[in-house]
Amino acid sequence: MKVSVKPMDGSIVVCIEGSVDGLTADELLAKLDEQVDAGKVRLVADLSGLEYTSSAGLRALLGTVKRARNKGGDLRLAAVQQPVFKVLDLAGFTGILKIFDDVPSAVASFK
Amino acid sequence: MQQIRQGDRRVAVVIGSGSVKCAASLGLFRALKRHGIGVSMLVGCSAGCLYASMLALGKDTAEAAEATARLWTRDVAGHRNRMALLKLLMPRTFGFDGEFGLRSDKVIMARLRTAFGDAQIEDAQIPLYLAATDFLTGQQKIFSRGSIVDAIRASIAVPFLFSPWRIDDRLYVDGYVSDPLPVGVAIKEGARVIVAMGFESPTQERITSGARFAFQLSSILSNNLLKSQFAFHGLAHYAEILPIIPEFTERVHLFDTGKIPYLIEEGERAAEAQMPYLTRLLDADASEAQSRAAN
Repeated sequence: MKVSVKPMDGSIVVCIEGSVDGLTADELLAKLDEQVDAGKVRLVADLSGLEYTSSAGLRALLGTVKRARNKGGDLRLAAVQQPVFKVLDLAGFTGILKIFDDVPSAVASFK
Repeated sequence: MQQIRQGDRRVAVVIGSGSVKCAASLGLFRALKRHGIGVSMLVGCSAGCLYASMLALGKDTAEAAEATARLWTRDVAGHRNRMALLKLLMPRTFGFDGEFGLRSDKVIMARLRTAFGDAQIEDAQIPLYLAATDFLTGQQKIFSRGSIVDAIRASIAVPFLFSPWRIDDRLYVDGYVSDPLPVGVAIKEGARVIVAMGFESPTQERITSGARFAFQLSSILSNNLLKSQFAFHGLAHYAEILPIIPEFTERVHLFDTGKIPYLIEEGERAAEAQMPYLTRLLDADASEAQSRAAN
């Protein structure tokens, strides 16, 4: 898994590539926590390069959503690929998270 | 780096309800075998019980495919249960009761007996858990002992189609009614890594009969239940759950046994995509266990 972070129009875009799972979820959560701890709570997860997420990945995403929303922000998902979308849908995430076709749309949604 | 033996790699496998689509689990097994990953327990629900049972009893994937193609054909539901119709129309006269099913189960029972004989769950080579639903309480019922035929028959008691099945004076209906993908069973039995293959029920393209109306409602309910139960188990527990969801571009009907090779292929394709990660995870897990044992 690779995680990179970049600011974009007042939001933080977290680009997650590869597989989020039991071996990598802690690393992802640490990166997301860093942002939330620094008060950067308008978060967009760019999932265009994410190939798979297991339950550990889902827990990391949900934990960040809760923390970001508690601080008045949100974690919004962008460019979710079909295999990952199916897992998110199966786990009920599509009903509680805002999902956008691409990163610019997700960033714009915070305005 | 300690050497990880292939036998150290083991996962729990859960095969959810899904009628003939459950054949995709044979593709999952092929992928696991090719990567030297063993199975520590098997959990089945509804038609998933057929495959879980065959594999737990030691049949290889080719034998299991062949056996289910013979077993799960359209004619298992092809004979009307005339008494059930009379009970439905004149409940007081004919005595309507909980053992209601519109189709006769004679064919499916004969085929289950041919396929499994007197095999007992506790005799399986891999620990086996078959999920059904207690018809009176709605609670999930897990069979981990007793007749495989009885447990499967209980777990495939599709509401309205086949009558609930009586075991030890209690009635059971299809396992999907309480949880279409029972990963909770594997969690309860102590599994750390769970590979779960689940399927959404197909919805009807057109509602043209009472039966289709009932199946549509049933599909909606079971699909929503699948998601809510999976969400709970995936988020509330420490266990690592890897959902494997095959992509079926062809529409697959309840008894499309002619599509079993296609289903296996798609199951294998979906499973294969997760094998590199699964292997790394199991190696890390086994390495940690070896370190603990050495200290």
